[in-house]
Amino acid sequence: MIVCEQLTKNFRNYEMDPGVLGALKSFFHRRYRDIVAVDDFSLSIERGEFVGLLGPNGAGKTTLMKMFTGVVAPSAGRLEVLGFEPFDRSIAFRKRISLVMGQKSQLWWDIPARTSFELLRRYYEVESSIFEQRLKHLSELLEVEHLLNIHVRKLSLGERMKMELMASLLHEPDIIFLDEPTIGLDLVAQRNIRAFLRDYQREHGTTIILTSHYMADVHELCERVVLILQGQKRFDGTIEDFENLLGTDKFVSVEFKEPVDVTDSIWRPLQPKWNSDRTEVKLLVSDDEMRRTVSEILQTFPVVDFHTGKIPIEHVMETLLARPELVPLGKE
Amino acid sequence: MRVLKKYLHVYQAYFAMNLAQASSFRMHFVLVILVDIFFYASSLLSVSFIYDHVDTIGPWTREEFLFFVSFMLAIDHLHMMLVAHGYWEFSRELRTGDLDFKLLKPIGTLFPIFFDRVRPGSALLIFVPWGCLIYFGVQAGLSPLSWVLLPFLVVVAFTLAVSIQILIAMVMFWTIESIGINFLRMQLQSLSRWPDFVYLYFFRKFFTFFIPVLIVGSAPVKFLFDYSVWQPLALVCAMILLFFWLIRVFWRIGLRRYESASS
Amino acid sequence: MTSLQREASKWLSTMQIGITNQMAYKINFLLMIIGPALVFFLIKYNLWVSIYSLEGITEIKGYTLEAMIGYQAWVLLVELLAKTSNGRNLAEDIRLGRVTTYLIYPFDFWKFHSASFLGTQVVQCVIFSLTFVIVLFAGLIEPAGVFQFLAGVGFALLVGILWYSVQFFVGMMAFWLEETWMLRVIFQITAAFLSGAIIPLELYPSWLVQVLDFTPFPYMTFYPIKVFQGEYSGSLLEGYLILFFWIFVIMMFARFALRRGMRLYTAAGM
Repeated sequence: MIVCEQLTKNFRNYEMDPGVLGALKSFFHRRYRDIVAVDDFSLSIERGEFVGLLGPNGAGKTTLMKMFTGVVAPSAGRLEVLGFEPFDRSIAFRKRISLVMGQKSQLWWDIPARTSFELLRRYYEVESSIFEQRLKHLSELLEVEHLLNIHVRKLSLGERMKMELMASLLHEPDIIFLDEPTIGLDLVAQRNIRAFLRDYQREHGTTIILTSHYMADVHELCERVVLILQGQKRFDGTIEDFENLLGTDKFVSVEFKEPVDVTDSIWRPLQPKWNSDRTEVKLLVSDDEMRRTVSEILQTFPVVDFHTGKIPIEHVMETLLARPELVPLGKE
Repeated sequence: MRVLKKYLHVYQAYFAMNLAQASSFRMHFVLVILVDIFFYASSLLSVSFIYDHVDTIGPWTREEFLFFVSFMLAIDHLHMMLVAHGYWEFSRELRTGDLDFKLLKPIGTLFPIFFDRVRPGSALLIFVPWGCLIYFGVQAGLSPLSWVLLPFLVVVAFTLAVSIQILIAMVMFWTIESIGINFLRMQLQSLSRWPDFVYLYFFRKFFTFFIPVLIVGSAPVKFLFDYSVWQPLALVCAMILLFFWLIRVFWRIGLRRYESASS
Repeated sequence: MTSLQREASKWLSTMQIGITNQMAYKINFLLMIIGPALVFFLIKYNLWVSIYSLEGITEIKGYTLEAMIGYQAWVLLVELLAKTSNGRNLAEDIRLGRVTTYLIYPFDFWKFHSASFLGTQVVQCVIFSLTFVIVLFAGLIEPAGVFQFLAGVGFALLVGILWYSVQFFVGMMAFWLEETWMLRVIFQITAAFLSGAIIPLELYPSWLVQVLDFTPFPYMTFYPIKVFQGEYSGSLLEGYLILFFWIFVIMMFARFALRRGMRLYTAAGM
């Protein structure tokens, strides 16, 4: 479905000193700086996959999506999506993809969404009866039947996002690119969107590429994760492998009745994270050490609560962003 | 044929959407009409005031000149109603990255960029420029054949005017900021509101063959007065084809530069 | 630092931002400078030369060809100082809800925009001087004298403030309207037509000119030119006072609209 090899995108910026003098100077002489947004990126995605693109702001996720959809021209490398070269922007290609951006809206603000959908029907040349069927089906799934005839600007962010999703699904694309579809939404709305996406993907077998800063989105939806740091691919594998990147250590959280001694030598190898009044700690403990360590803590300190589990994916992500060297370069 | 039908269908939807939008902003609707009326009045009155003091300007009498002004108003009217909003939208979309959505739609992207905003309010005003056109046409003694040709020539001239302006708008891919380009575009438009014979030799040649704004109105109007002056009109048709091609070329090059600012 | 110095430094740095913004985009900036001059040479020069020469006319209402070209050159110069602000940023600030930030800033909305306007005026003064020198050496105008020149610059700068007040007032309408560009365009068209920027008011029907004297329009282009040319018939002081009067009236309206708009805005809790 998507194959890219050594894909690269450079942007050009110029710098400007502050003040009138700076403006004058840059008016006559510009200091240009090339910025590599996507660097030598290779990836291959099969039909029906649900892939999460992870990475901090400015890592190049969105640029990658925009090259996949033919919005932005690659600077170098080979790219093929659905057998097309995206930047050729052929009509047939455009009919088979869609892009949803959580921070932007494709609907007209001052008219009801229903009217905008009608325009989309004509763009994608979908027959009326089929279109109505899809519209009905989608609006039931998303529970927005009563909102179709309300002006878009009057909708809440969550409601509008549902409309945006509908707008991009009405032509039943083969690939859907979702760029932070849950950004800014409250927890309930996030969960609704997630549930919808999961069901939709199961039903249609559509290929979906998702970026999100909410690890819950990725954890719940994606089988495969690709990590991008500074434009380069740093990890590509199953979500389980990603979660195990920092090792199979367990995550142990302990709560105490009263503040305890944080300098005790037992803590040192366990990467402790204390709360401010020293009554709670989060630890990383390896499988072999688990029994011994836990019983020692229980004996030594006034423990009131205690649980253990896999390392949360948020923690993996946080650690990797802070210390990218933990992912070996070029690891597949 | 199927393609043409698709574009017509899409255009119908644009019109319906704009009508829906206009009806929810009534004050806006009225003000847009007022803009047009003020513009028409000041164009006609300026020329009329000059003719209070002279009998002819170049070869034209008051009636002929005012017929020309009305002809340009008819083009401006179509322009205001169908395209004018698009240039400003285009620059906004380039700056904010909102162009993305239009690029993704399976239709020639220039179509939604420049033609998806229609001003239904301006449609109501169709009587003003066309009323003037008929009134001064009668006074200037237009022949029956010219009356038949008139609507077609307005459309042809309008096509050239729009092509020139869209080509200029393509420069925004490079400048991003738009006020300067839009300003230039409108200045060139206002050059065409005066007949080509008022311009001195060098300017006239430049704005006939290089940036052909002067033939937009002068060529068809001269032809309507005198069929032996058909060469400029042929030039109009040739220029339309040339500009279609140039727009295509610059659009492709420009698109490679598009960076799609994100959020 | 005294509070006056502190306030002045706020104004100054805002003016700097205004200047920086104006020059941020090269081509844009050049077009804005060259644009008006281009219009002058392309349309007005050609038009009047052809009207006079094609008919062999030597004088229209006391204007010889040279006088007419001179008049149009002065229009160009006056407009460089007088018609600079366009109020677009202002309306955008309101429409995009950036007004709220000014509620928190120790430098209010009116001051911020006035200071950026003054910044633009500084740049415009430079452009004006350059254009003046060029037009002068091209022999298009004959200044009446240093006093008249200074009086004219003062007059035109005041008109600039008047123009800014109007733009500010129109921009305020963004509190109530979705878009305000129509109001701006209506005002621009009307002002260009009634201020004598297209053709000298002497050529207008006399009843219209008499009516116009009760409006600020002739003061926007026609009278400043007459001051520059040393042909202003009324008393200069009176002219200045009338301008001050109109600025005062329109500013009052604008500030009133700002207050009402803000109240509406904060009441709506946006």
